[in-house]
Amino acid sequence: MNDTLLLDASAILAALKTDEPQHEAAVGLLTDEALTLSTLELARYEVVNVAVCGWRKPELVTASLGVLERIANDGGILAPSDVHLTRAAELAALHGISVYDAAYAAVTGRRLVSCDERDLVSKGLAVLPADARSN
Amino acid sequence: MNAIATGSSVYPGILGFMPKVMVSMPDDLLAKVDAEADRAGTSRSAVLRGFAEAAIQQRRTDRARAMKEIIDEFAAPRGGENVAELVKALRPKP
Repeated sequence: MNDTLLLDASAILAALKTDEPQHEAAVGLLTDEALTLSTLELARYEVVNVAVCGWRKPELVTASLGVLERIANDGGILAPSDVHLTRAAELAALHGISVYDAAYAAVTGRRLVSCDERDLVSKGLAVLPADARSN
Repeated sequence: MNAIATGSSVYPGILGFMPKVMVSMPDDLLAKVDAEADRAGTSRSAVLRGFAEAAIQQRRTDRARAMKEIIDEFAAPRGGENVAELVKALRPKP
């Protein structure tokens, strides 16, 4: 089994929101010593954006960046390449989703974990945090 | 024992299926690896595998511990819509 997961911004943010349905599962992943965690550069913007503009909690910026820094030191924060974005554009057109969402799904070799049931999980492009360990 | 013959050598079965890689390193570091192999009574490859496993596991353990501290301190009810929809709602509009 490939034990490297790719977390999108929603999976990371769910760990910081206790009234999120996937909160406990997201915490379980972030604190699991048997996994390697990674994300996309895009998540830096999305996580901080939600903390500041969504939750109106600028004091969470440091904590959010701390979470991302730990992921960077674990499985890494991946920067998009032209090949990756081309694949993301193809996926976006194929599934009728945004290139932002497709950018996460376009990463190969890592299981994508997301709380986005509407655009990613329902289309088989990602799994919920609670299902991330199942085969 | 499950073994596989390669040329004139016989290795435990699992080694026959491990990819072979070429690693470059300075002489002084290689000397330290070899000294560790001698001390442990094992091979250079086994020492490097052990170091790689230990480094990855240490990284995971450090991350898990730090995450727990951050979450314990900062996780709270936020109300409003779920995080996936909030991420989408706050993205730049065309």
